[in-house]
Amino acid sequence: MKAHRYWLIAAAVCVFGAGLTGCSVVQQGAKVLTDTGKLSEKNRDSIIKTSEAVRSTFSEITEQEEYYIGRAVAALILSRYKVYDDGGMTNYVNVLGKAVSYSSDRPETYGGYHFLILDSDEVNALAAPGGFVFVTKGLVKRCKDEEMLASILAHEIGHVSAKHGLASIKKSRLVDAFKILGKEAATRYGSKELAELTGIFENVLGDIVESLVEKGYDRKYEYEADKLAVKFASRTGYDPNGLTRFLKTMTGGPSAGAGKGWFRTHPTAEDRLGKVDSTIRTMAKVPKTLTVRTERFAQSVKGLKP
Amino acid sequence: MKRPFRGPALAGALAVLTVLLLAETVVVKIQTTNLRKEPKFYSQTIASLTAGSPLEKLSSQDGWFKVRTSAGVVGWIHSSAVETKKFNLLAMDKSMKTQASAGEVALAAKGFNKQVEENYKAKHGEANFAAVDRMLQLKISPSDVEAFLRKGKLGEFGGGK
Repeated sequence: MKAHRYWLIAAAVCVFGAGLTGCSVVQQGAKVLTDTGKLSEKNRDSIIKTSEAVRSTFSEITEQEEYYIGRAVAALILSRYKVYDDGGMTNYVNVLGKAVSYSSDRPETYGGYHFLILDSDEVNALAAPGGFVFVTKGLVKRCKDEEMLASILAHEIGHVSAKHGLASIKKSRLVDAFKILGKEAATRYGSKELAELTGIFENVLGDIVESLVEKGYDRKYEYEADKLAVKFASRTGYDPNGLTRFLKTMTGGPSAGAGKGWFRTHPTAEDRLGKVDSTIRTMAKVPKTLTVRTERFAQSVKGLKP
Repeated sequence: MKRPFRGPALAGALAVLTVLLLAETVVVKIQTTNLRKEPKFYSQTIASLTAGSPLEKLSSQDGWFKVRTSAGVVGWIHSSAVETKKFNLLAMDKSMKTQASAGEVALAAKGFNKQVEENYKAKHGEANFAAVDRMLQLKISPSDVEAFLRKGKLGEFGGGK
């Protein structure tokens, strides 16, 4: 009986002991996460090996890295386009975009979602990684109601949410970058590493800008973004036929905008329409377009209409 | 004589072990966000959080996590704001090479960062970072979005969910 009692106490001590050891290891681990500079040589070596082993694809790019890539892509877009500076309309597009982002699969990004209108008559919408979203004046003019603009913003949020920009980076860039990053534990780089990393950064930006502005994404990403647009817009409460109505304005042979913007970088509107239609047909309940929103849209963009 | 103390001690030890085995730690991965009273963006803010803050995950619902901060505040955070990959910290010393997850590495602050951006900027005057910084100044409050949803009969105020 007595022996049994001691055994129980011993067991309790062991459990406590294990608990305490666990805690200290957890603390050590937390330290590793917050301050890599305090790692022991041995642990640092292991983490370097691990980082090389696990960081090999775009999905391993961190939120913060995505933010810096997105900032630079946005800076390059804004070197090609002027901003359409109408405070009221910009605010409207931002509230609308934010509302749709709340119902997306990725409402939170490192620097958050921000929306701008570009002062161009071409029909175009672009999103840089991390949530920098652009629509042209020409595109907003083509929209007849809030559902149409919401579906375009939802399409762009879809590209951000599914990280299509990062997916268009050539794998070799990442292999090079992760090689340098694996070697370096500090947050500030020496001049050699910095020069190498900046060179890779330039190439990464080149890959993304080429997809966004010139070649367009792989078609499968565009169809996926359309699917996400239907999902995010209808989750917000918008009639996803806003996208159908918008695409219909882009059908029917060469028009004034052909060869530019969305006409150049996206699959044909006819191809997209068929797929969007069948996505909407699978939905159990499709929200309706409401006059209260159409009126609000007309009021908000009246500066653009003749 | 010792009888009254042993039971609680053992129970306490088991509780510690249970917490260790069941507690799931998630870490904030975005620049700043808020802990909210209810699982929606325009719910009342009860704490401000920054990248790297560890949180104890208590439960989840529709893409939101109920969490406890290190200060003991309990509230809701959207799952897209946190790193959820398992932290196999108990294995840190022995076989870290195989156990450390991408998440742990991802949270170490390195990679394309401000220093790389500055170096890039110095060589590429054409990149319009000033306009990007102005874009980042466009801030919309969750209560503005709530009013917009309400007026447009959207989200919980209309046909959405």
